[in-house]
Amino acid sequence: MSVLEVKNLTHIFPDGKEAVKNISLQINDGEFVIIAGSNGSGKTVFIRHLNGLLAPTKGEVLIDGEPITKNIIKARRKIGLIFQDSDSQIVGQTVAEDVAFGPENLNLPVSEVDRIVQEVLETVGLSEMANQSPHTLSGGQKRKLAVAGVLAMKPDIIMFDEPFTGLDYPGVIQVLQQLVELHNAGHTIILVTHELEKVLAHADRLIIIHKGELAEDGDPEDVIYRAESYGVRMPLKNGERVGELTWLR
Amino acid sequence: MAQVTFFHYIHKDTVLHRMDGRLKLLCMLILSVSSGFATDWWDYLVPLALAAAALIAARLPVIALLKDMRFFAVIILIVMVTNAFTIQGDPIPYFPIRYVSVQGAVTGLRFAGRLILIIMVCTVVTGTTSLLTFKNVIEWYLRPIPFVPEVRVATMINLTFVFIPVIFDSYTEMVNAQKSRCVELRKNPIKRMKFIVFPLLSRTLRRTDEIVYAMESRCYSEVRTRAVFRTNKADWLILAVCIAVLVFVIL
Amino acid sequence: MSENNVSEFNIRMMVYCALFTALIIIGGYISIPIPVGPVPVALADFFVMLAGLFLGFKYGLISTVLYIALGALGLPVFAGGKAGLAVIAGPTGGFLFGYLFMTVSIGLIAGKRKPSVVINLIALIAGNILLYAIGTPWLKFSTNISWTAALAAGLTPFIAGIVIKIAAASALGRVLLPRFKQNMVSASAQTETGKGV
Repeated sequence: MSVLEVKNLTHIFPDGKEAVKNISLQINDGEFVIIAGSNGSGKTVFIRHLNGLLAPTKGEVLIDGEPITKNIIKARRKIGLIFQDSDSQIVGQTVAEDVAFGPENLNLPVSEVDRIVQEVLETVGLSEMANQSPHTLSGGQKRKLAVAGVLAMKPDIIMFDEPFTGLDYPGVIQVLQQLVELHNAGHTIILVTHELEKVLAHADRLIIIHKGELAEDGDPEDVIYRAESYGVRMPLKNGERVGELTWLR
Repeated sequence: MAQVTFFHYIHKDTVLHRMDGRLKLLCMLILSVSSGFATDWWDYLVPLALAAAALIAARLPVIALLKDMRFFAVIILIVMVTNAFTIQGDPIPYFPIRYVSVQGAVTGLRFAGRLILIIMVCTVVTGTTSLLTFKNVIEWYLRPIPFVPEVRVATMINLTFVFIPVIFDSYTEMVNAQKSRCVELRKNPIKRMKFIVFPLLSRTLRRTDEIVYAMESRCYSEVRTRAVFRTNKADWLILAVCIAVLVFVIL
Repeated sequence: MSENNVSEFNIRMMVYCALFTALIIIGGYISIPIPVGPVPVALADFFVMLAGLFLGFKYGLISTVLYIALGALGLPVFAGGKAGLAVIAGPTGGFLFGYLFMTVSIGLIAGKRKPSVVINLIALIAGNILLYAIGTPWLKFSTNISWTAALAAGLTPFIAGIVIKIAAASALGRVLLPRFKQNMVSASAQTETGKGV
């Protein structure tokens, strides 16, 4: 069943540049989708339409068959977005306070907010740092906190925008583990990245966006061989299979 | 690291730390106001003694705080000296410098007393109140005032203190990067400023746009969960003492 | 939901106000030594200038008021980590009030106009004249010192710094302002096109 549907999405910037050109696609419940593309291909602009941060010039986005414009708050609760730069996603002065930001925006009672915060911090493994300043966390921990902030909204779909940027090896492993756990817990995952070698093995589907257009959409085993022509590094070495493309062991 | 220098809040478990922030801020206000009404020596000594007691009760590192206060010591000294010299009056008996008058010295001392009181009270309050509490208290006090969007103000305060360590870190990073490119060799201070401030500003401006999007995608709303305050008997007692001191000073 | 558009614009300006308040606070901690004169240049007033230049009169003022209010409440935000009513009422308090007038004047003169180097320069100079026209006499009267002493403590050592800061602010304005203002416009245009959202 499709949870997310994009119909003829086009975005033209005020300066006339066409960032997204007529993209249509459907994403099914529980899928793990990777969206790849070179820098400036329009990936980020595209996914920012999915939770209504950007408004399309043409086309529309539907969640569970309903246009997101009908109830934007509901749409944003259903689709969580984790930004490339965790620093700019963190708005609390302590870890717990940051996680509480979302539920507080929904005007939930204090006891409910506290319960959610505890539960979510437990899930991502940051309980012990609840009272620390987010600023003192490592790169991987900051990414976890960003995920916690999104999980506190109880989303069905979670989008990650270039989650591996700027992370060291243990940081990448932490994020990968989390991705797999979230997927196993039933979340639909949309992952934007150009570093296919780190994660492709876990994906059900690979989409390539090139110059704002939907260039490829299909089984990773199949699409991967055409990736290089769109400026995405071909991650397979001789004799390797897609199933081996992960940093997780 | 930036934390230590920017926030004077010191986490401890004392009566003053646990005190309801709303009452604490009120006490701060009352004591500050009382300094304005002081006339005789007792009016200075009683509030000062109370502030000193609070400083001890809060178990704050007094010596370290005193070091931070050097600037105020200079101000106090300047004011005392200028007052002592400029206000006309009777010379002080047995004092070697003849231009110093009794009236001048007394005015100087009073001014100093007032300043010291305000500084001590502020120190106790900031040392025992976390920024989160501060934010919530301000929001609470602004709520009944019309035309003031209290949630927005509280959010701005919060964001300001989220920004500070982030910007400060990028500043340090930037300065080090420029150092390795020998920016010190540049004599032109305008150029030097441009090399540091320009990247700092363009980077933070870009980041700010991202924060706006991040807040949006987490459903930022000004109708949001309100903080809950807890008031103990001890809190009311402290407030009562402060009011008593104010009354004593005014009478 | 056009309401949502309005609120998005508010969020943006709210976050920018907080940003400039943070920058002013940090400016008080950053100092750059200058070759002329013994007094290092602190950057708080520099960011106050930028707040007026970038945010305009209304939001620039909000940002500066927030700065002073935080300090008044006792948070260590004034230059060198000072705080409290004592500073505001003290000898240097005039400069804090001067900041308010500086942002307003810079914001009003440079305002919503198309960024122009000459107008920005006029705005910056006017703002600084106001700042010292308030700060220096305040210093004189609050400490009871002579005019000569007040000028020596509150104006002369800063002149070189003022000139440098004005030059740097106008240089920054020239490079960053057009893009910044365009961003603002396109952000509001975006919400404009996004009528449906």
